[in-house]
Amino acid sequence: MSLSNRITPVLKEIRPVLSVNHAEAKRRVLNLYKIWLRQIPYIRVDYISNNWTEPELRKILKENFLSNKNVTDIRVIDRLLVKGQMDFVETAEIWRQAHNAALFDRSMDTYKQKPKHFLERFYEGHH
Amino acid sequence: MNRLQLNRLITPLSRIKQHGYIFVANQSTAAKKEPEKLEVFVDGKPIHVEPNTTVLQACAEAGVEIPRYCYHERLSIAGNCRMCLVEIEKTPKPVASCAMPVMKGMRILTDSPLTKKAREGVMEFLLVNHPLDCPICDQGGECDLQDQSMMFGSDRSRFTDNQFSGKRSVEDKNIGPLVKTSMNRCIHCTRCIRFGSEVAGVSDLGTTGRGSDMVIGTYVERLFMSELSGNVIDLCPVGALTSKPYAFTARPWETRKSESIDVMDALGSNIVVHTRSGDVLRVIPRINEDVNEEWISDKTRFAYDGLKRQRLTAPMLKNRDGYLTPCDWEDALSVVAEKIGRSTGSKMAALAGRFCDAEGLIALKDFMNQLGCETVCVEELFPNVGASTDLRSNYLFNGTIAGVEHADLVLLVGTNPRYEASVLNARIRKAWTHNDLRVAVIGPKLDLTYTYDHLGDSTKVLAELSSGKHAFSKILSSAKRPLIILGSAMFQRQDTESVYAATVSLANKLRSSLADENKEWRIFNVLHRYASQVAALDLGYKPDVKSIIELKPKILYLFGADEGLIKRQDLPNDCYIIYQGHHGDRGALMADAILPGAAYTEKQGIYANTEGRAQQTRLAVTPPGKAREDWKIIRALAEVCGLTLPYNDIDDVRSRIDQVAPNLTRINTIEEANYFKQNADLLQNHKTSFTDSALTPPITELKDFYMTDPISRASLTMAKCVKAVEEQLKSRHT
Repeated sequence: MSLSNRITPVLKEIRPVLSVNHAEAKRRVLNLYKIWLRQIPYIRVDYISNNWTEPELRKILKENFLSNKNVTDIRVIDRLLVKGQMDFVETAEIWRQAHNAALFDRSMDTYKQKPKHFLERFYEGHH
Repeated sequence: MNRLQLNRLITPLSRIKQHGYIFVANQSTAAKKEPEKLEVFVDGKPIHVEPNTTVLQACAEAGVEIPRYCYHERLSIAGNCRMCLVEIEKTPKPVASCAMPVMKGMRILTDSPLTKKAREGVMEFLLVNHPLDCPICDQGGECDLQDQSMMFGSDRSRFTDNQFSGKRSVEDKNIGPLVKTSMNRCIHCTRCIRFGSEVAGVSDLGTTGRGSDMVIGTYVERLFMSELSGNVIDLCPVGALTSKPYAFTARPWETRKSESIDVMDALGSNIVVHTRSGDVLRVIPRINEDVNEEWISDKTRFAYDGLKRQRLTAPMLKNRDGYLTPCDWEDALSVVAEKIGRSTGSKMAALAGRFCDAEGLIALKDFMNQLGCETVCVEELFPNVGASTDLRSNYLFNGTIAGVEHADLVLLVGTNPRYEASVLNARIRKAWTHNDLRVAVIGPKLDLTYTYDHLGDSTKVLAELSSGKHAFSKILSSAKRPLIILGSAMFQRQDTESVYAATVSLANKLRSSLADENKEWRIFNVLHRYASQVAALDLGYKPDVKSIIELKPKILYLFGADEGLIKRQDLPNDCYIIYQGHHGDRGALMADAILPGAAYTEKQGIYANTEGRAQQTRLAVTPPGKAREDWKIIRALAEVCGLTLPYNDIDDVRSRIDQVAPNLTRINTIEEANYFKQNADLLQNHKTSFTDSALTPPITELKDFYMTDPISRASLTMAKCVKAVEEQLKSRHT
């Protein structure tokens, strides 16, 4: 008897988070993208101290969406959708503060990445 | 599951296939008759126990813990605290369960009103004369009296002290720099006295007076002269005996505990390291029946303050003026790598010291071998005759530490276990007390805390014993399960080959005359002094320091080598010495470059004890300053040198160790080692030539015991101990 026969299949059906298929997921993503786009003029004003222009914000928005372009798992897409929705609400309601919103722009994220190679890690002293 | 874990699973399985069983290091082979068990009832629950167990033990077997102060399972029964009173049906009075043997059909009531009342009464009497010290008492939080008064005491006191006469008060005693006494708190359980006279073999402590005038102490003020004295701190159920160096530093609930291994001697005693915010606060023993039971030596317990002094915290390089100056890791590694790059592997040598873990050892050996260097040595020598270190049985304590209890004769050759492995000495003493173990000593007359046959200290005795001409030979050959313990200090002698060969041939002769039921019994044992020695030999290090001096190396890599076996003047002038280690001691003193490593409390490392039992230390605090874990330093240096060692994390290193010496990755197991006969055959052609020097172990006195290695040499507490012992020897009350 082979091993696969003995293991009872536990992951037979996966309950969808939101979307049933890729088409639906894509529709949701585009909808989210649209509401963010429509919000851009207000984001510029609400977070005026970040000195954003509208074209800049559109670029930032696109970058943020495209950074997840390789995600194919529907459940992961759905999770990102939910997170994006929540981010949107927080931004639109001005629950964020300016420096917090500034991090939408990835180039502003200056947090030092942990080194990957052994020697660099050794010099840093944190293993 | 990584490869290492998989291997751990597969190895025992393949052994079952090979032998049909898994080897367990159990040497008792005598067939014992199963005694008939008695049935007793604990709170109505029937339970079968062996005859001669006490009521308290029977209750423990039934899962009922009886409160106690004086009873301790490793000490004799005193029965004087009366806390363990229980009601037994059909007896007129409650009985002290620790001293009462079970009888057939006994019905023990541990929760009856009479029992409860008895306990409350005893608690009340104890507390009448116990000071209300708890807020300033070091035992607070781990005090048996506190716990048991909460569990079993009365909820109110009848103590009023109408006369304002105060509680009973007793003068505090000064019994040395290790144990702090607050004798007001003493409840006279006499555990410390029994420990002193039974386990440590030092009857300094005792009682004077009786009734409420009873006082525990040394009668005249004197030092508690024992290398195991710290254990009375753990034994004391109240705060009467506490640790002096640890006094007023922390409460037990504030500390983090990491289970670790001691490296001060080669026994690998199991310890718990208590830390708080990056400080080692204390070291206490952890129970391991096969190694240290629950005792540790004073050096193990108190040398931890040496981990904070004399530490190397930054890499250092010699500047133009010849002074060592701190620098960055980048600079240090690039300078060292450049020096290594300019030299050839055949002109390099490495020497590993006593505190090195197996991870560091394998990394250093791989690194040196990749550079083309084969002179990778350990500090302790080993005779290069016969199979030498090629067979593990030649350098292990084959009989196992627990095996001492099954032996009926122990022959100590040139070793002083009392100061080289104190806990082993306690084990020998235990066997001497309970099993009528006979001990014989070849070496000087020493106080080993037990009586022994002194055979003399000359090499002649050894020669006569191995040829069977000595008067003691008859007794030796009539022993059923003898152990010969050869001290590793004997390998440092001029005539080490002959001493070793004579001991092996003696062991082999005894082995051939063993009775059939004891055929598996192992006679030949080596008692090492250095914690890293067995792992280093397992990994293929050469026990030959002299070869380094003969090589005249251009590069010498000292890996924690602090014994001062190689001096600057032994080496050519242009020899570049790299020292990697954690203490600024003898090795660092002569170095050109210093790479700061981690001490045993600061890394996860494997150590094999003298039996070959692999055990691991765990990280309790982070290494200070820029110090790094040892294998990482070597791995980084190798990378700067343009070589890559095939490991990036501790699992990789361990799987590399697994390739070289798989026994080192099987934590807390002993790998059997055999081929005694074959080794003896190889040694037969050895021409014996003894020198005249006596077989003297290096440490013969207590004051020399305390400071033997870089950590204990840096320890203030240990220095105080040496001073206290010296003063005690001068005093009139010795």
